Amino acid sequence: MLRHRKLLFALAALIPVLAIYVWVRIMPIGEILRLSLHKWDIISKNKPFIGLQNFRELLEDDLFQAALLNTAIIAFGVLLITIPLSLGLAALIYHRTRSRFAGFYETAIFIPHVVSLVPAAMAWKWIFDAKLGPLNAVLMKFGLEPQAWLFDPVLSIICIIVLCSWQALGYAVLIYIVGFKNLPHSLYEAARLDGASAFQAFRFLSIPLLKPITLYVSVVTLVSGFNVYAQAFVLASDSQGAPGRQVRVLVMDMLENSFRNYRIGYAASEAVVLLVIVLILTLIQFSLLREKGGKSQ
Amino acid sequence: MSKRSISRLGTTRILAASSALLLTAGSTHAEDLKVWSGFPEMAPFYERVAAELMQQHPDLNITVEAIPLREHEKRIALGVSSGSAGNVIIELANSTATRYLENELFNPAPAPVAEFVTGDGNFSDFFSQGASYQDTVFGVPLFRGQGALFYNTDMFESAGLDAPPATMADYTDYATKLTQRDANGNPEVSGWSLRLSGGGQGIAEKFWINMFQFGGNLVEPAGDGKWQSGVNTEAGLQAFNQYVENVHAQKNVSVEMPADAEAFERQQTAMFIRESWVIGDIAKKSPDLNYATAPLPRGSIALAVNLYVKAEGDAESAAWEFTQMANEPEQLNWMLENIGWLPNRANVDYSAVIEKAPAFAAFMNYPADYEFFTLPAISPVEEVLSRVAAALTDAFADESLAGNSEAQKAILADVDDDINKILKREGLLAD
Repeated sequence: MLRHRKLLFALAALIPVLAIYVWVRIMPIGEILRLSLHKWDIISKNKPFIGLQNFRELLEDDLFQAALLNTAIIAFGVLLITIPLSLGLAALIYHRTRSRFAGFYETAIFIPHVVSLVPAAMAWKWIFDAKLGPLNAVLMKFGLEPQAWLFDPVLSIICIIVLCSWQALGYAVLIYIVGFKNLPHSLYEAARLDGASAFQAFRFLSIPLLKPITLYVSVVTLVSGFNVYAQAFVLASDSQGAPGRQVRVLVMDMLENSFRNYRIGYAASEAVVLLVIVLILTLIQFSLLREKGGKSQ
Repeated sequence: MSKRSISRLGTTRILAASSALLLTAGSTHAEDLKVWSGFPEMAPFYERVAAELMQQHPDLNITVEAIPLREHEKRIALGVSSGSAGNVIIELANSTATRYLENELFNPAPAPVAEFVTGDGNFSDFFSQGASYQDTVFGVPLFRGQGALFYNTDMFESAGLDAPPATMADYTDYATKLTQRDANGNPEVSGWSLRLSGGGQGIAEKFWINMFQFGGNLVEPAGDGKWQSGVNTEAGLQAFNQYVENVHAQKNVSVEMPADAEAFERQQTAMFIRESWVIGDIAKKSPDLNYATAPLPRGSIALAVNLYVKAEGDAESAAWEFTQMANEPEQLNWMLENIGWLPNRANVDYSAVIEKAPAFAAFMNYPADYEFFTLPAISPVEEVLSRVAAALTDAFADESLAGNSEAQKAILADVDDDINKILKREGLLAD
């Protein structure tokens, strides 16, 4: 009887939270799935069911494919830069914990993450400016050709990767530092007694032990990389005609289809594709890192 | 008179007084109305009209919300379709308004307003038809976006040029003479600022303006409400080639150079094609700039912007009153002089403003055979322009296209396919 009551109490306590979760998390996903199967123009009265027509159109849509490719390059580019760099920086900062500059190092790395995105992107826009930017000034100082950073199809994507990595780095370093602080000291002492160098301890102890942290950081970084929008928008924005090359990314394409072209159903089908891609990649990351991470502990 | 009848009379009086009080209370209840604009520079104009209307109706409260165009379009799409917009006057280009009219989301104009739009010679057929849908008036014309050439007279003088270019061939010749270059031959001050980059449909609109000078249109009517792409034509090729030639062959301008009105005001370009609002902008930001304007070789875009109403009850009446007050001669002259957008109303004397700012002459006193085009009033027009813009942005940056007309034709053929695909999907493509 008491057990039954406890179960009822647990259910009663959980139901409001679960209801909110379903309302704000599950239902919107279901709604997106439903929209993606309709010709749903934002203001039209007729919203007919068209099955998979939106998805078939996506297969032939050059702009969507360009957006998908750009987004994937940016997301993986940010991941490839952020994970090793943040792990290395976190290791350096952790091993300098006793330094009087330790606080400064942590703050300096973390600040980009808390700085508002738009002003930060505007600052980077100035840095990359072909005519007035300091980056080209430095290149010219060394006798190199100035580059049209924000206009070249390849360089403009690199600029977004740099900006996104700069922002993602602080958060990743912070999480890694927490991970480092929780590693067992005894293992490092044993390794030192066995004659392992600092690099070997890092390579053969820290990296495997930090796999759960790496899993978390890489999932968060990759998912946010696939959701990139504001960085691409700001780097190409201007009040008038000399803004920069608009790097088309998935979220931007969705917004354009929703509110410029009024095609909510079509944009929803893009969102479904994005959801599936992120889900698959997250599952792959989990399968690669979590199990082995568990064993290593 | 009996006590009872006196009492009945008293009751009647009280009821009458109460009703009057209620009616008065009803009329003094503040009526809220919003004006949504997609041109931030228009805010002072609408505020001016609103202040005058509110003076006449103390119970009316009008707020003006002017934000950048793309955000404005999003808020209309969301606000009007969800019904959360409230009582609102909406400023919108007639090409964009079509899809709202197809779905009966804006109020039809009451008879006196419709009469104002279609009668008395207030507006030409071009504007009154643009404010109507299926023979019913829905909008009140206000202003238009019309292009003309802006050129820096000091730079023209230095280059030995004493008149504006008259043909499109002149434009390239002039640009070559006007470009100021560094020791390596790279442009430092562009001879002709072209819209080459950025997002949105502006790139396609500007391309269309140039293409029109060669006798073509990006999208052409084919009768029976059907349309077809006109980009893969001789006119399209000439316009496209002119861009490529100026950017890559002559190097009169580059993709990364400062451009548009801002560059013109800072003397970073010698000439460019833009709408009349630039006159007001120059007066504010660069009043000492020596410049002049000239009509384009063949004609211009005339993108009519109308005021539409989405409101109920007393607010609707006030909204229509606002649209007409905005079209009073005194208000329109103020708008022309202080904002720079061209009023659409025909039977108003603007000569005093043109005398003060002669740059308006190229927009108002154009040649008799000057032609106009506007964006087609079809629902996928934004999508067509956005897709053309995306293709053109990549193409303008491609140096290999210089002098390669086959490669240029291939790009135009792709753009042509894209446009026709959209038209077909929407059931608008001609057979």
